[in-house]
This record gives sequence, structure tokens and C-alpha cells, in this order.
Amino acid sequence: MSTAAPPRKAAPHRERTGGRLSNGAFALLLTAPGIALFATIIIYPLVSALFTGFFKQDLRLPGREFVGLDNFAYWLDGDFLTILKQTLVFTVGATLVPFVLGFALALALNSGLKGSGFMRGLFLFPWVIPGVVVSFLWMWIFNANYGVLNGILMDTGIIDESVSWLGRPGTAMLAVIITKTWASFPWMMVMLLAGLQTVPKELHEAASIDGAGAIRRFFAVTWPQVRGVASIVLLLEFIWNFQHFDTIYVLTGGGPAGATETFATAVYQTAFKGFDIGRATALGGLWMLLLLLLVAVYLRITERKGDA
Amino acid sequence: MTSTTSTPLSGTGRLKQSATSAGNTSRRRIRKDLLRSRIAAWTAILVIGAFGLLPVYWLLATALSSPEDAFQFPPKLIPTHITFSNFTALADNDQLIKYMINSLVVASITAVLSVVVATYMGYSFSKFRYRGRRSLMHMVLASQMFPQALLLVTLYAVFSSFGLLNTYTALVLSFTTFTMPLCVWMLKGIFDTIPDALLEAASIDGASRWRTLHSIVAPLAAPGMIAAGLFAFVRGWNDFIFAVTLADKEKQTLPPGLVSTYIGEFQAAWPELMAASLVVSIPVVVAFMFLQRYLVGGMTAGSVK
Repeated sequence: MSTAAPPRKAAPHRERTGGRLSNGAFALLLTAPGIALFATIIIYPLVSALFTGFFKQDLRLPGREFVGLDNFAYWLDGDFLTILKQTLVFTVGATLVPFVLGFALALALNSGLKGSGFMRGLFLFPWVIPGVVVSFLWMWIFNANYGVLNGILMDTGIIDESVSWLGRPGTAMLAVIITKTWASFPWMMVMLLAGLQTVPKELHEAASIDGAGAIRRFFAVTWPQVRGVASIVLLLEFIWNFQHFDTIYVLTGGGPAGATETFATAVYQTAFKGFDIGRATALGGLWMLLLLLLVAVYLRITERKGDA
Repeated sequence: MTSTTSTPLSGTGRLKQSATSAGNTSRRRIRKDLLRSRIAAWTAILVIGAFGLLPVYWLLATALSSPEDAFQFPPKLIPTHITFSNFTALADNDQLIKYMINSLVVASITAVLSVVVATYMGYSFSKFRYRGRRSLMHMVLASQMFPQALLLVTLYAVFSSFGLLNTYTALVLSFTTFTMPLCVWMLKGIFDTIPDALLEAASIDGASRWRTLHSIVAPLAAPGMIAAGLFAFVRGWNDFIFAVTLADKEKQTLPPGLVSTYIGEFQAAWPELMAASLVVSIPVVVAFMFLQRYLVGGMTAGSVK
């Protein structure tokens, strides 16, 4: 999926002067530090996480006791479906809303307006600033006592009294999705704009001369050209949101009353507030199973796009 | 733009005339279309722009407000008393300065480590064909998509048993879990653009494979390596979840440091927090100004966020 076309042929980069290693061995040697690091900090912890789910273990203590499927049963008989549902609500919302906004903005900036390069740079700001700053800013905007959102909505007469956006189960998820949308629509815009810029202008003109209206032109000319980028962007954002942590944790911590609890916050809280690493990793295992399916789909799609 | 399409095939006068009038209609239609799309474009820019940029304005306005102005309801949309005291207060906060130094150290080491390791790996992926290469590449790509919250739980246990909690090492290693995959993919993309013929020429001239990589390829790829390093730095600088969990007050970085400093059980000091937020964002914004050029290519190559 790299933008530059990678060389397809095997590199004829052969050692001529006294090399003892074959090319394959040399290439593997180059990857050795990377593989070592990977194995230690990603693979080993993840594999060990899968096993820990079968034990009763306190995060702070060394010993552990085999409990079979107890930890999994704890979730499946309990909150699993609620957490899955809320994770999906967050994931779908925080993927589709910024996609629509980003796409609309990309189309607008691609229509040949003056200063669109400058505006593109300006709109990147929400995406560029640290995630924690994004959360702080929106916490302040949603603030129940002094928040600017309540101020504006009351001034315009839309609401009569201040709403505790993050403090009420009914609005907290919406607030979290809005915050995440704000942080990610610029990325969608940049990616889709890059896709749109590959659409030759002449195609639009030709379609326009043939009498195709704007909607017709969108589906006949624009969409086929950006479909590839759009599907990658949607899928990536879906996978990322499915495991997203920061925004939810800082804004609501999974509350109020568990209304914004997702897999990420539930695993985190179970491990680091409840210290129950067995239950945390059991939920993590179920979560990873679902994620693996998504990743498999992702690899399928990128594979088809070339030398992934 | 339409003149070529309306150029009539040479023929009888009648044909010529009808072709021209068709050209006029289509030109008119295009002009109308253009106007309509301009209006639609500006509407989208204004509406989405308001959503995108008003919060930024509010960040700035609050950071420049006195506490009296900030804690007023309904809020003053335009601050009347502009003050820089929220910014100067940051310089007096020793704890914040410590967090900032921690952030700089950890993010820099992370960036260097990631780029060095990823350079070798990316080069191997780009210029050699061997068994297992594809699987390795997929592993690197897929590792970016595993849930950090879960990885963190067992990383915590691992670091704890090696006595590494609350160390720079723990932070650097945990940041590397997400910066290295991204650097590998970015750098592979960059090595892909370096022609094989160059490597062949070097090898014919008698350069060893190490020498070719270090003295010929690396300098050519240097701008890309710097870009990858900056990306890694930014990701490390921005990380919250690993830093908040694996380090205490002594070794914590800025993002969790801000939470513990300003979001307490008591009323948060919003104007100061907004000022601090702006300061935290500065290195990132500056880095991205340099990175503009690599942004889209890097993202599509490495699926960076």
C-alpha cells in the first residue's frame, strides 16, 4: 500500500568481495534487532495475556491460581454484551461522522477554491494536537457550570438550563463521539483529498458536458476513484476506534454509571483499579478475537492493493 | 476549457453552426454547475470550519483569559481582559518543567531507537526477497492494531517483575511498541524509491553490503529517516495510556502530568490548563509543519495516525 511503486524483482544486490553470508541470511540479520524487540515487547506480552485469562491473579502479587474458564464466564454472564454494544456505538459513530465531515471538506477543498492549501493546513490543527489536549479542551467546552456549549445553547434558547453533558448517561456517549470526531475528521480529510487529487479534472468536465448532474458525477466519476482510499480509511479508523482509550478515559473514565464503558476502559479499569489481571486479560482475549477478524479483513484489502 | 470539445469537425456550415450552439449550452451548463459547486463548497467549509476551528479559538481565548473572565456564566465569547499570566505561571511550576524534560528525553530516545531498528528492518524488507519476509511484514503491520490497553496490562506485569516500573526504559520500550511498526513501514516506502541499480553499482565497485547501506543508502534516505523520527517523537510526546500507567510523578511525561496537575477532585484551573495545553502542542505543531511534505505519503505507506 505504499504510494511509490516498490520494485518487484529480487534485488540483484550480491556480495562480490568476501562476504560470508548469503543474501537471505544478511537480510535476516538486518531484521534481527527488530524481531528481538518485537518478540519482547509485543508478542510475548500478548501471548502471555492470552494465558493469564485462565488464572485468578492479582496484578500486585506474584502468585496465581488456575481457574479455567471462570474469568470468561464472568464477562459472558455479565457485562460483555453491554460493553460490546457500547464499543460498537462509539466505534461506528466515531468512524462515520468524521468520515462524512472529512469527505465533505475534502470535496470542498478540491473544487479549486483559492487558498485551499492554506485551509487544509489550518484544519489539520485538531488532528495534530495531542489527544489529551483534545480531551481537556472538550471537557472545558462541555463543562456543566461554565461551559461555552451551555452558554451558547442557552443564549440561543435551545436549552433552558445547563446540561451536564459528560455527567449524564444519556449524553455522555454523544459527547465522547463528538470529541473524537473533532480529533479525527482532519485526517480523513487529508487522506480523501489525496485520493480526490488523483481524479483527472477532465473526467468531470467531460461528464458535465454530457449533462451529468453533480450527484451523478459524484457516483460515476468521483466515487470509483476514491473508493480504495475511502475503504482503507474507514477500516483503519474503525479498527483504531474499536481499541481507542484516551478520549474516553480522560473525558468520562467509562462513566457515568458505565454508560461509556468500552473494551479498552473496561480492561484498563479491571486491571489497574480492580487489580484483577485474570479478568482483565480474559475480556482482553475476547476483545482481541473480534479485533483479529477486523485485522484479517484489513490485511485482505491491503494485500489486494499490491505489495503490502 | 471547453473550446476543444466544441471545435466542430470541418464540414458544412450547418453542421458547424449546430456544433457551436451545443458548445454554448454546455459552457453555460458548466458555468452554472461551477457556481453551484462553489456555493456548496463554501457552505461545507463554513459549517465544518466552524466546528473545526471554534474550539481552537476557545482554547486560545481561555488561555488568555483571567480566571474571573473564564469562570463567568454565560461565558464571555471575547475575553475583555487579555492576560499572559496563565503562561508565565507555567514557568514557575517546577513539577510541570520536570514532566516536560521527561517528555523530551523519552520521546527523543524512542525516536532514535525506533529509527535505527526500523532502518535495518525496512531496508531488509525493501531490498531483499527471502522466505518469511511477507509474514514478518504482516506481523509488523498487524502489531499496530492490537489493543494497547491489553498490551499494557501484561507489559506492566513484565516491567514490574524486572523492576523497570517508573523508569525511562519502561516508557521508551512501551512507546516503541507503536512507533517502531510505523517507522518500519515508512522507511520501507522510502527505500523502495531508491533504485536497485545504485546498489548494484556500489557492489560492482566493491562496496560491501554494510558499506552500501551505511555510506550510500542511508545518506540518500536521511530526509525520510528524519521524518520517521519526527513522527515517532510526536507519537511518544502525545502518548497518554502507557505513560500514565508505567510511570509515577518522578518519571511521568506531560500528557498524564497535565491530568494529575490540573484535573483534580477540586475545580480544575481551566485557563492555566488551556495555556499548558497550548504549550504542550507547540513541539507537535512545529514538527508537523516540517512534516507536511511527508504527511500523506507517510500515512498511506505506514497507516500512521
